[in-house]
Amino acid sequence: MFVAALIAVALGSATPPRPGEPGGRGIAVLAAKAVGVGADGRGVVDHPVVLVRDGKIETIGPAREVSIPAGYEVVDQGRRWLAPGFIDLHCHVAGGPGGLGDINDAVYLTNPELRAKATVVPGNPLLKRAVAGGVTSVLYIPGSATNMGGQGILLKTGLAKYEAMVIRDPGSLKLAQAGNPERWAVGVGRSLMNWNTRDTFERGVAYARLRDAAERGGEPVPRDIHWDIFPPLVHKDVQISTHTQRYQVVLATLTMVRKELGLDVFIDHGEWYGSKLAGYARDLGVDAILGPRAIDPPSPILDTDGKILGIAASYQEGGHPNIGFNTDSPVIPQEELPLQAAVGVRYGFDDSRMDSIRGLTIVPATTVGIAHRVGSLAPGKDADILVTSGDPVDPRSSVEVVWIEGTRVYDAEADGRIW
Amino acid sequence: MIQLDLTRRLALVAALAVTAFPATAQEGEKPAESKEKSEESKDGEKKKEEVEHWFAIQNGDVYTGTGEVLRGATLLAKNGKIHSIGYDLYIPPDTKTVDAKGYRLYPGLVAISSQGLLGNSSGDFDDTIDPFNYRMVLGLATGITTTGAGSGAVKLKRFSVDGAVVNEKIFSSFSWSNSNPRGKGELHEKLVAAANFQREYREWQRKVKDDKTLVEPTKRGVDNTVLAVLQGEQTAKFVANDRDELLGIARLAQEFNFRPVIEGCQEGWTIADELGRAGVRAIVTPRDRRPKDERQALAGGASIENAAILHKAGVAIAITPATEGVDLGGLVGRDIMHLPLEPGFAVRGGLSERAALESITIVPARILGIAHRVGSLEVGKDCDVIITDGDVLHYKTFVQWAVVDGKVVYDKEKELFFAHIRPRPEAPAPKKVDAGETPPNPDAKPADAEKEGEKKEEGGDDAKKKGEGDEKKKDG
Repeated sequence: MFVAALIAVALGSATPPRPGEPGGRGIAVLAAKAVGVGADGRGVVDHPVVLVRDGKIETIGPAREVSIPAGYEVVDQGRRWLAPGFIDLHCHVAGGPGGLGDINDAVYLTNPELRAKATVVPGNPLLKRAVAGGVTSVLYIPGSATNMGGQGILLKTGLAKYEAMVIRDPGSLKLAQAGNPERWAVGVGRSLMNWNTRDTFERGVAYARLRDAAERGGEPVPRDIHWDIFPPLVHKDVQISTHTQRYQVVLATLTMVRKELGLDVFIDHGEWYGSKLAGYARDLGVDAILGPRAIDPPSPILDTDGKILGIAASYQEGGHPNIGFNTDSPVIPQEELPLQAAVGVRYGFDDSRMDSIRGLTIVPATTVGIAHRVGSLAPGKDADILVTSGDPVDPRSSVEVVWIEGTRVYDAEADGRIW
Repeated sequence: MIQLDLTRRLALVAALAVTAFPATAQEGEKPAESKEKSEESKDGEKKKEEVEHWFAIQNGDVYTGTGEVLRGATLLAKNGKIHSIGYDLYIPPDTKTVDAKGYRLYPGLVAISSQGLLGNSSGDFDDTIDPFNYRMVLGLATGITTTGAGSGAVKLKRFSVDGAVVNEKIFSSFSWSNSNPRGKGELHEKLVAAANFQREYREWQRKVKDDKTLVEPTKRGVDNTVLAVLQGEQTAKFVANDRDELLGIARLAQEFNFRPVIEGCQEGWTIADELGRAGVRAIVTPRDRRPKDERQALAGGASIENAAILHKAGVAIAITPATEGVDLGGLVGRDIMHLPLEPGFAVRGGLSERAALESITIVPARILGIAHRVGSLEVGKDCDVIITDGDVLHYKTFVQWAVVDGKVVYDKEKELFFAHIRPRPEAPAPKKVDAGETPPNPDAKPADAEKEGEKKEEGGDDAKKKGEGDEKKKDG
């Protein structure tokens, strides 16, 4: 340790890394219970110990089975719980409050080349609240004023520098199939929107295939930044996050984007009666990220015999195994993400197998292909850990401490409670 | 009004008299039927027409709202009032009963304010309450049995408007706003005038006995509403959030000796002691967001700890959700249908569970001047009870039955809205099977659980075991 400190001083580093942080000594976090444990996030460990070093989780297990290596700082959280950091795949607040926030520029009806990352402001007040609410990773995406608002970016909310925040860039292509883009320019109907969206996709996919062929020795194809997002889409390195709600609109997502174009797509901002397609979505491998609305009221659109239906419950009853939750922050404040799961459970979503906490963590992580780094408490993953006063889904439980990649980014007692 | 006040006072006296006996003292005691019957015969025919309505909720865990819990107890009501709470009570024949075994009883919730639960009502409630409107059903499903409405307090009696209005003309609204400094001066002048009149009037009352020639002080120039507040006939209600505004109201309250109700109170936590000393009652929404003024060195803005800090300083806290109407548009967790969720956010900020429950029961009842009738389960009070399948503040909990004035006015299984969600075991709803879809098989393993081998599906304790099992595998 002394040597390490000497080296740090010799290198002129202003502050040596704290325990848990990359380069620092390890920490051992003790608590009363850990949820969201293991590769599938269904595990629960009573009296857990989590060993963290270099920003990663080394081990998690019951205290009686894990021996704490010498030199590790012991952080005993007593009766509190541990949970993996929450993940929101529909976030608009990484640009902060005010006019210079997220992009929603209605340039063309489809704008696959625009990028939300141009507006990120690390450490803005809305991100600080997100962290205080336990939200550690977000998919920051453009608004829904047009059918393709542009490219989203996957970020860690609580880190101080942009380059440290980025989990993956691009994070997604934002598609909004209906509900908002009708307001573009002179007003457009669903037929034109669907046609134009499909046309954009077909051209983009064709470009990506030509670029692929060129790489394999075919005719050279010059780079066109307008279509930059399509090669990673076609290679399934990036997903399409789709604001899609009603039956017909979700059907268009499933048939057009997934079935016909073969692209990796997920339902984002899933609401209303789209749940009738839960089985079809499952069969096509399209995950369902739901919110911010959580109920379908009795209405003339679909006769429910007066039932108020939980949307997550309806997707679940339809046989969908991969259901997550989103806020559309700031429509619902970012820090209220866990409430989306709570009300989902209230209105019938079965959480007897930990699916409420999974819908806030491992499901969204898997949906966007970052489950190797985040989404559950498992060895080798980023040490994005929440300390809560109890069941992390319950609004009564407070978030007390948040680590992101082993860095303590929030401590309610030490820094003052934000949420 | 006079009549109402009189009955209120009588009821209060009655409530005090009966609550003087602890609930458990009622054990095995036979209701004083015979005595009352003899009284009837004395009073002649008139009273014979009166029928006694007995109603009992048996075997439930009674959360009285005063901090006590009686497990597996019985609550017995006579003619809509709580007659006794306890064990081994004598249940008269023809008593209507509800078996609440495995459920909890709480006092019916009191919404300090709401919109739409009474239908398109306004002003004259007796003529405009719609006791059949669906939002009243949703209100009862939320657990609300009494709501503040305008300047009154109304019960969700359902099917009837008789006796629904329990208090009227409770509040006088005043403004003390930084955006209207002139209004501040005017209100202060009115208070001075009313206070002077009060003093002069008292002096005249004292002296006129000896000197009949003294002239009664004139009310001219005295604001009647302000005078009513100083005389304790009405409650002054302010909407204010700034530290400075709140301090101003606290100063007024102490200078002129009245207890204001302040709605909003967002920066109250920064000056909680002053508000507590002034006897302020606060109506807060714990989730309110208000950024700190970055030009101020002082702490400010909204805080999730607001309710907890205010409560600690002695400020009575009533909690109201962000939206006071019913919102079926789907953005759930923020409207009056989720009233019991809102105090959860105050608990998050440090408020005790007990104070959280009180913030939607007895405290709003006190603010509305009806705490002698509703807001807690105590002998002599109205039998307004909700029977829930769990902790009323838990997000998963549903109201199974709601009782107003000793009558079941809501039964989850018999209504359209929520019967299908976790139906009661004794009356399971028919399994819905969509044509073309495979019916869900509870014994089948979901595809993503296959790798877990022969482990059973589980929840709760079993899930914990499994978590540990997984870890054993990994470590081993």
